[in-house]
Amino acid sequence: MNLSPFRIAAEPYYRPVGNEVSIFEAAYRDRLPVMLKGPTGCGKTRFVEHMAWKLGRPLITVAAHEDMTAADLAGRYLLSQDGTVWHDGPLTLAVRGGAICYLDEIVEARQDTTVVIHPLTDGRRMLPLEKRNELLAAHPDFQLVISYNPGYQSAVKDLKESTKQRFIAIDFTYPEPEIEAEIVMREAGTEAGLAETLVDIAGRSRNLRGAGLNEGASTRMLIHAARLVGAGVGLEQAARASIVLPITDDAEMREALTAAIAACV
Amino acid sequence: MSPARRPRLEVLVTDREQAVARLHQLAGARPALRSAFQPAWQHIASGADPADLEAWASGILDLANVNAGPGCLVAAWQISVTLQPRLGLVALGDVVRAAAELCRRAGSRAAQAGLNACPTVAARLHGAGEMLQWWRSLHHLAQTAPESVALVASNVAAILEPAGLGGWQSFLSAGLKLGGTDRARRLAFFGLEDEAARRMLARLGETVDFQHVERGLKLFLTALWANPPALRIAPHGMPGSGGVGPGGWPRRTSLAGRIVLMPEVYRGVSPETARLLFRAAAAHASAHVALGAGRFPVGQLKPLQLALVGLIEDARIEALAMARFPGLRRLWAPFHTAAATGAATAPGLLARLARALFDPTYVDTDAFVVKGRALFAEHAGRLDDPAMSRRVGNLLGNDLGQQRLQFNARTYVVEPAYRDDGLGLWDFTDPPAERADQIEVVVDAMRPQPQAGEAPPRGEPERDPLAGGRAREAASDGRGVVVATYPEWDRAGNVERPAWTTLRDVPPPLGDAARIDALLAARPDLRQRIARLVRGARLGLPARLRRQIDGPDLDLDALLEAAIAMRRGEPPDERIHRDTVRLARDLSVSILLDCSQSTGERVAGYGAGPPVTVLDVQRQAVALLAEATAPTGDPLALRAFASCGRDDVRLFRLKEFSEPWGAPAKARRAGLQPGLSTRLGAALRHAGAELAAARTHRRLILVLTDGEASDIDVADPLDLVEDTRRVSRQLKARGIDVFGVTLDPCGTGAGAAMFGAGNCMKVTRLDDLPARLAELYFRLARR
Ligand SMILES: Nc1ncnc2c1ncn2[C@@H]1O[C@H](COP(=O)(O)OP(=O)(O)OP(=O)(O)O)[C@@H](O)[C@H]1O
Ligand SMILES: [Mg+2]
Repeated sequence: MNLSPFRIAAEPYYRPVGNEVSIFEAAYRDRLPVMLKGPTGCGKTRFVEHMAWKLGRPLITVAAHEDMTAADLAGRYLLSQDGTVWHDGPLTLAVRGGAICYLDEIVEARQDTTVVIHPLTDGRRMLPLEKRNELLAAHPDFQLVISYNPGYQSAVKDLKESTKQRFIAIDFTYPEPEIEAEIVMREAGTEAGLAETLVDIAGRSRNLRGAGLNEGASTRMLIHAARLVGAGVGLEQAARASIVLPITDDAEMREALTAAIAACV
Repeated sequence: MSPARRPRLEVLVTDREQAVARLHQLAGARPALRSAFQPAWQHIASGADPADLEAWASGILDLANVNAGPGCLVAAWQISVTLQPRLGLVALGDVVRAAAELCRRAGSRAAQAGLNACPTVAARLHGAGEMLQWWRSLHHLAQTAPESVALVASNVAAILEPAGLGGWQSFLSAGLKLGGTDRARRLAFFGLEDEAARRMLARLGETVDFQHVERGLKLFLTALWANPPALRIAPHGMPGSGGVGPGGWPRRTSLAGRIVLMPEVYRGVSPETARLLFRAAAAHASAHVALGAGRFPVGQLKPLQLALVGLIEDARIEALAMARFPGLRRLWAPFHTAAATGAATAPGLLARLARALFDPTYVDTDAFVVKGRALFAEHAGRLDDPAMSRRVGNLLGNDLGQQRLQFNARTYVVEPAYRDDGLGLWDFTDPPAERADQIEVVVDAMRPQPQAGEAPPRGEPERDPLAGGRAREAASDGRGVVVATYPEWDRAGNVERPAWTTLRDVPPPLGDAARIDALLAARPDLRQRIARLVRGARLGLPARLRRQIDGPDLDLDALLEAAIAMRRGEPPDERIHRDTVRLARDLSVSILLDCSQSTGERVAGYGAGPPVTVLDVQRQAVALLAEATAPTGDPLALRAFASCGRDDVRLFRLKEFSEPWGAPAKARRAGLQPGLSTRLGAALRHAGAELAAARTHRRLILVLTDGEASDIDVADPLDLVEDTRRVSRQLKARGIDVFGVTLDPCGTGAGAAMFGAGNCMKVTRLDDLPARLAELYFRLARR
């Protein structure tokens, strides 16, 4: 089995914000499954990439979605010239090959899909492949990581208690302003003043979380804005295009955000 | 006046000291004038300061001197009589002199029309300053269109009423531009016969009021400060204050602890400017709250010193605010329009100093302004010390005092317009006894303390360290901030009585949030039942349908099975598609709780445990519902109401639409006590007005009441039933569904009469309420 396409060659830039790196390393030592919690665009994906690189493991990422079935994760029989052939799903691939499997936005999947990870994430470390009548023992290097954004969930759409309680959790929030500015500078290649202003702008929008916005501007948005500025767009225009317009369709909210942004520059 | 007399008069007028005597001579010499002058003089002169009379008389002589004619002189005397109390004689002298100047430029007919317009102008505009600006606009018009001056002045009411001074000025310049050199066109325009003129007036009449911008301002301030002060409309009609415009409308914001009272409208500005002005004012006031430090004791300060300390404090706060948010400079700058020209009046110098401290590029060589700048600059390193405002303000106050410039606290209005009236800075409590009178005057003159109910905003219980004594006293009567007035239907007269009820926003007393949690925990059975309802409804979730005959996607597993079946030679299952259906949700709900006295009645044998009241059951039912619906994300507001006569309909805001169902809302819900009466129509109108702003497609008001409308000043309860029925129907017509849930153990209530049989649910067993309410909610939510 060749997992080399899933290996990460160069170090992905990740700026630690707290003790997340050491917690993850400790968890990996015992192959404990990890849940990354936090709002969108705050560095969860980047963190897993970084850790996979650091631990020297291939990384297989699956973006969960509404229509995902257990077969999409585990694998299924496909047709071939002379019958059917089994095709491993991404999870099975990781389990066999000893990769880190990252299930992004796990709650998007239906609960009957997510239960397939249960035997993998307890003492058994097994993946039952029902269709194949196989009970696959996980490779010793295999680890499961999921991401979970608590902000968007509701009682109707949430992880089962029995799923949640299998994981170590690391909480991601937006970093301190200085650190966030450092990340923006580094990722977008801009100067400090601009990055600081953008982080300040993000702070304005984050104040409106729960007061009309589901979520404030993410680090990712700031990087986008900084790149637009780098390409010659004016700061307020860039903030509008990369923050105000994507984040809300509510005209009053847009106006208020625009005014608050204007106050920052 | 005959030409023969002119030389003699000219000689006399130059002798300023004797203007009063000369005026008597002039009037006495002509019988036509004498009969008009004598009564006017008696009126004006009684009790007047001789120096003021001199100043006034010299203005009148100026008018006589330009050959204005007896009509003008008589008009000048008349307006002097009527406007003396408002403007004072000195300012009236200036007004008459302005009329003389107009006479010189456009003739006596124009001057007379201008004088005749003065009472209207004085009623619409503010003080002598604006009055003189109005005259200057006529002077300006006279340069290009002298023929139109009299005409436009005679139309003053029609123009000034909707447009204010700013609009008046824009109207004049628009007329000049449109009319160009075409005299007839100009006359048509200023005579309001031209279509363009009418359209312009209509447009100037459009105002942006607080309600239009309220939500946006709230969002803006939340973005800036995270925890901004609450915004309210300033009550209308506070007596004789400098911050109050004609008709009693407040013209400036006012700070009251963590509450900002905003003018309902800014008159005389374009809608675009009004929006900016609201935003600039909200930013300024919130900066005081965020960066200021409590109130200053009034001590021995005089009104002028108070104004100056306030001005310095404004500059200090704005400097701090702009250090934090540099862009605020661009928001505030356009309103600093004071210019370093004209006579040095106290208000003028204050406005210039305000600009000088704000705008480093502004040039002003007036000694007072220069000194103010220097003093402020000296303290630049200590901007975070509020004591500097007091020091610098006092020093400057002494300076200005020595210049003997008149400062009238009653007519003083803080400039620029976005700034607050400055009174929120001062602690007027506990004045030393011998000073009490004077302070009373100051307070009175500038603004009375905020009216009742300036309660701390939600989530910030009582402990407002800044609340002044009077404010607290007023609040303790519990009548709350007036938020609206509503009409009510008069059954006997068969008419709608306008503005009949007054709705007051009363902060709900806080109770123990844990009590609500206990109520929830007490009924695990109900909780589960309702939770099942939510799950069963699967509200808002897209449902995925596999193995469909038709659909936008292929069902991969079904497809494979079908292919395998075909290879085996078996008939394949054709249902190989996938589809999703989304149960769209687009619903806002406002729940209106009757908490009148009758809801305090005890209910025997409800559930297990001690006896509870109707209100308790309501409490539990609503808590269960709020908890259960939280996951759907439907905006849900909770309001309670009770009334004590038509001018005291109280509304308690327990939970806002976007607020999560958390401890603060629970505490408000828990604290509510039964009391007073049920004026349902007014509360319903308000809930309707709030919901009208909701963006969702469906809007629903659920009323929980015992079905017995009543109030202390209503003899026949049927009046209120009928009023409620009409409101329900009106709301329905506006796309807002009203549904009544009547807790009516005896079955005597008028629920069906008020809401219509199809829109009413009678609950006779209170035990049933929570579950019935939840069922109802989901039923209504789905239809
Ligand atoms: N601590 C960090 N170090 C380096 N880059 C970061 C950090 N935090 C955020 N970023 C930047 O933000 C971008 C978005 O982060 P990432 O894609 O990891 O977000 P995420 O949390 O996975 O979001 P989502 O939940 O939407 O998937 C990254 O591409 C990276 O540029
Ligand atoms: Mg991600």
